[in-house]
Amino acid sequence: MNPQNIQAVAHPMPEFGSFCLLLALVLSVYTLVAGSLSLWQIAKSRAGRIAPEKLLETARRAGIGSFIAVVGAAVALVWAAFTNDFSVDYIRQHTNIALHPAYKFSALWSGQEGSLLLWAFLLTGYGFVLRVRHRVDVRLSAYASTILAGVQVFFLLLLNFAAPPFSIFQGAMPKDGNGLNPLLQYPEMVIHPPMLYLGYVGFSVPFAFALGALMMRYPGEKWIAITRRWTMVTWLFLTCGICLGMHWAYAVLGWGGYWGWDPVENASFLPWLTGTAFLHSVMMQEKRGMMKVWNVWLIFITFMLTVLGTLLTRSGIVSSVHAFAQSSIGSWFTTFLVITAVVCLFTFILQKDHLKSENRLESIVSRESSFLFNNLVLLAACFTVLWGTLFPVLSEFVQGSKVTMGAPFFNRVAVPIGLFLLFLTGVGPLLAWRSTSLKSIRRNFVLPCIAIIGAAVILMGFGVRPWKSAEAAGEIYSLLAFSLGAGVITAIAAEFLRGAGVVRTQTHKNLFASMLLLVRRNTRRYGGYIVHFGIVVLFIGLAGAAFNQSKELEMGFGDSVEVGGYKLVCQSYTQDSNPNYDTDYALLDVTRHGKKVMQLAPERRFYNASQTTSTIVAIHSTPLNDLYVVFEGRNPDTGKPILKFFLNPLVSWIWVGVAFVILGTLVALVPAIRPALASQRVRADEPALQEAVR
Amino acid sequence: MGIVAGGILTLAVLAYIFWPDRNPFVQRAKTRADYLIERRDAVYENLRDLNFEYKAGKYPEEDYTTQRASLEDEAARILAELDTISR
Repeated sequence: MNPQNIQAVAHPMPEFGSFCLLLALVLSVYTLVAGSLSLWQIAKSRAGRIAPEKLLETARRAGIGSFIAVVGAAVALVWAAFTNDFSVDYIRQHTNIALHPAYKFSALWSGQEGSLLLWAFLLTGYGFVLRVRHRVDVRLSAYASTILAGVQVFFLLLLNFAAPPFSIFQGAMPKDGNGLNPLLQYPEMVIHPPMLYLGYVGFSVPFAFALGALMMRYPGEKWIAITRRWTMVTWLFLTCGICLGMHWAYAVLGWGGYWGWDPVENASFLPWLTGTAFLHSVMMQEKRGMMKVWNVWLIFITFMLTVLGTLLTRSGIVSSVHAFAQSSIGSWFTTFLVITAVVCLFTFILQKDHLKSENRLESIVSRESSFLFNNLVLLAACFTVLWGTLFPVLSEFVQGSKVTMGAPFFNRVAVPIGLFLLFLTGVGPLLAWRSTSLKSIRRNFVLPCIAIIGAAVILMGFGVRPWKSAEAAGEIYSLLAFSLGAGVITAIAAEFLRGAGVVRTQTHKNLFASMLLLVRRNTRRYGGYIVHFGIVVLFIGLAGAAFNQSKELEMGFGDSVEVGGYKLVCQSYTQDSNPNYDTDYALLDVTRHGKKVMQLAPERRFYNASQTTSTIVAIHSTPLNDLYVVFEGRNPDTGKPILKFFLNPLVSWIWVGVAFVILGTLVALVPAIRPALASQRVRADEPALQEAVR
Repeated sequence: MGIVAGGILTLAVLAYIFWPDRNPFVQRAKTRADYLIERRDAVYENLRDLNFEYKAGKYPEEDYTTQRASLEDEAARILAELDTISR
């Protein structure tokens, strides 16, 4: 396409995209109105001119249609990006001709309008699955579909009126676009935002089911079983999204860390905390019919936190390296949050008698109380992070000046909370439901306690002694994390070994086969233990941060530096160029004990379209530590390159821990098999109850 | 051209939405018996877990006996109500 002629020709794809968004809005409104009307008629046993069941079916199909329309809009935007259609203002602002095709695709979420379109796409996509699988429970699915349509209407209103992605650029047509933000031109950025959004948006589904179940006074707890997989998949996406964001921050931002308590990082962490609490506490509702009010509010709050997260990320309320858009849509989100809170509160007040617990907490030393503590601790963490994140906004509102809460505030509170959670991770599974006797505690806690004490003694023997100097005082948390981690891993291993022992007695298989069968028989429980193991490994990685070292210096050819046993020698500086960016490289030979390990090449890039620079960090990763080198630029006075070196212990444990978390969640998602068809072997004279619980 | 494509899409979607459904799926309302069966299954599941953990050596005999009795009482109450309803 000749850019000079763009204004003279029609814009078929932007027109089609805009039309699709309008169609999706109309269909979502229809789903909401027809769904609400027919559900009201069914609840009041009233019949209109059209049978409510038939009206409900058209509402369901309109919901499916809204997904197809949003797909049309998303395809139109991606098409515009790939064909360099700079007549679309969004494409002009966020892409350029030389941009790599993968990043052209990621332009879909690099700006505000596109990311809202991604929200709508995923929301209607989740809605599509829900509406197609409505036979799981037709009535409850209809309530959830209608509530979801309400959320769709909000996002489609935004896309049609407040932040339209297909606005046509007015003025002389540029030959090239402004280009994508350099920080986003990194492979993980192609998958990190969609993962995070899949997590954010996914919580809409359990929220819709919970609110629907409350509205219709759904008898029993089956709605939890119906939404369990939705919640777990969503939690998994959010976890992956957060961890990919951590890795991106580590590899691109060049400050040597992976988590800086940035407002946007916090925004993604908040729903993760409440979502994790929800995943644990619903087990109490399923097993014992307890904590119904708590659970309903946990999922309401989780959904509202996802909306708040999107508001913080996209509205420019808080300043962050992760916030790639600033605009005035904050008032829309605030209004939506208020409406959501009012609807939730109103429904709760109206139906709260439906949420009476069937059982009470019988003992403070029980599995139930450990879940309760787990929830309280997660909520305390959530409140702390929320307070620290919103404090600058609140202080500006009250005092007129912005007071920012830095990483020390978050670390001071979050680290002890995290350690207590780690402790509960180990304790919870060892306690019995209802109440645990002293004898039982002695039986189950001896080995983990020995592991904790043993690990602490060994670590102190290796020199981890927080009392030796004021600088080493922070190591107390690392010592606690390593020791508690050893205790939790011992507890998890004991659970696997004991369980495998029972299966082995029943089936006469070897230990490994018995363990596999054990996991297959109760995927949820043992998948959960694998997740816990991953969390412990992750905590060990985080605890390594207490021993970080760093150095910054100017380095000419042949200069060398020693960092934690590594010797780095500057071999040369070189340059490279492609149509999108120019690169300066530093080539550093890395040796250890006189042997060459590898060559590191930290980069500094200059992007032509946006006229900005960014760094690509060079990392040599081992299980013990990461050697991390940043090319910071050149000293303006001497012209010499400045390099920064970090030695970050145990960072790779974080990524390994995340891999275990993912594996455990996937295991928990697999349906369990029933134990060994025991029911077919039962004797005719054996009581039915005996058979059922075997 | 874009509007025409949009119009075709709209017609297709409207046809799908309002196409008469000859066999609509109807779900009967959930009864007390359905609810009790769900509760019974949950209690059986809890009993299975308890038995398994006892066999694994997690609980001493006394704890197991007390917990099992409590769960069996709960199951018996549910079964009795189910029996009354089905009569």
